[in-house]
Amino acid sequence: MHNQPVQHNPSGKRKLSAGVIWKIIGGLLLLIIAACGITIDNVAIPASVNGGSVLPITLNVTIKIDQGQTSNFMVAVLVPKVWKTAQNAAITFTSDITSGDQAMTVIPAGTPAPQGGGMDWPTLLATKVGNGGNLLPDYEWVAFYSNASYPVSDNSTVHATVSIKIKTSPDNLLFKLGYCVANSTDGLSSSDRYATAYSGCFQVNGTGDLIDFCNPQISTVDPRTSLDNDIITLSFDGGVQSTKLDNASQVYLCISGITESGDSLSVCTQTDATKMTTLGLNKWQKDIWPRKLFNLSASQHLTGLRYWFTDASGNNKVGYAGGTAPFLYTFKCQ
Amino acid sequence: MKKILLPILCSLALFACKPELMIAPSEPVKNLSGNWQIIKATRNGTDLTTRFDFSQFRIHFTDSSYTIDSLVPFIVSRNGKWAFDDPTYPFKLSFQATDSSAKTSPLQYPVTEGQRNLIITFSPGCSLNTYQYTLQKAN
Repeated sequence: MHNQPVQHNPSGKRKLSAGVIWKIIGGLLLLIIAACGITIDNVAIPASVNGGSVLPITLNVTIKIDQGQTSNFMVAVLVPKVWKTAQNAAITFTSDITSGDQAMTVIPAGTPAPQGGGMDWPTLLATKVGNGGNLLPDYEWVAFYSNASYPVSDNSTVHATVSIKIKTSPDNLLFKLGYCVANSTDGLSSSDRYATAYSGCFQVNGTGDLIDFCNPQISTVDPRTSLDNDIITLSFDGGVQSTKLDNASQVYLCISGITESGDSLSVCTQTDATKMTTLGLNKWQKDIWPRKLFNLSASQHLTGLRYWFTDASGNNKVGYAGGTAPFLYTFKCQ
Repeated sequence: MKKILLPILCSLALFACKPELMIAPSEPVKNLSGNWQIIKATRNGTDLTTRFDFSQFRIHFTDSSYTIDSLVPFIVSRNGKWAFDDPTYPFKLSFQATDSSAKTSPLQYPVTEGQRNLIITFSPGCSLNTYQYTLQKAN
């Protein structure tokens, strides 16, 4: 377990005149002096867990209230959908205005968030707070309310420690977890009414191919599930990050098929059979029929692929995340 | 005059009637005999025709058998027998490769630009990956 530095969401920029800027600065100073604020001071999360185990996370939160109110406390987490967090998480908190663990319950999807323009919490969080830099779309915000509401007096400060326990799925994945705290009165109505934080790239050591939300996807395979008798499309997007193939005028596939018996069949020569088609903007594509590419006999079947991309010389080779490790693909049907 | 004209008209009317030969329109025979090539191929709706080399593929139908040259992912991988589900109004085309069970594809048989097309749909790998090939007789 270690404390991670909190990464706050960057805000957008506009060109403003000097007068307006001074007015804004004055307003902000007044706001800081007179208004409330909420911060996530730190996030404690292990660097990784094993697939299927419980992920414990602790948030330390400070809430400064200028005007007394009675509200429910809201905690939301940004998680991979595959975890089914609404069914597999427990959140409690302790604070200096409560006694013992305070229970929280998931807010059903479709429940309008306060001052959220009719949006429910998951939609409002995704719209206003974002995706935390996760590069695959299979994420979700799951929001919880405290079971009780709490009266807080004027000009008070509350410290809370939030305990989040999420049972992870068996999947092998990398994900940037996100957190948001707010209350049931103000919602996300202004930036001083809620706080967000993100962990770095968190790893679950599970089974199956890595589902990588953190690293740019320089290669994809279509269809996502297939067998060796399908035509599969391997794509390389050199625009995602700089690689050894930035200046390559031709890109080739260097690929190994892994048979059921564990043998590795390699096709790694720069020929028409491995030459990729350019799509422009340093994007490349190759459609292969594995059974023919690897010249499989009727009784041979592949369980997966390991592949790289090379230039015409074969000397410059790009693998997973731009490195030397191969991209992996497992043949399976849903 | 009237006594003569009336029997003549009646006789004419009588002999003018004769049974009409009724010919029911017949459904054209679906003739698969010959060599067919792939002119269009899609995978899950994505057109692969120009992206993958289907040009050498040929399937040769005879009365009840077929042979395949230059195989690509197809409903069967070996030579064998074929059959319509209904010889007159076929909606399915089945292939029975040697030493294998029969595999059946929905069949469309439209005429496009004067050419008879044979459209079959199948899954050579995962069942959720659907391929549709349009075949036309090769010259």
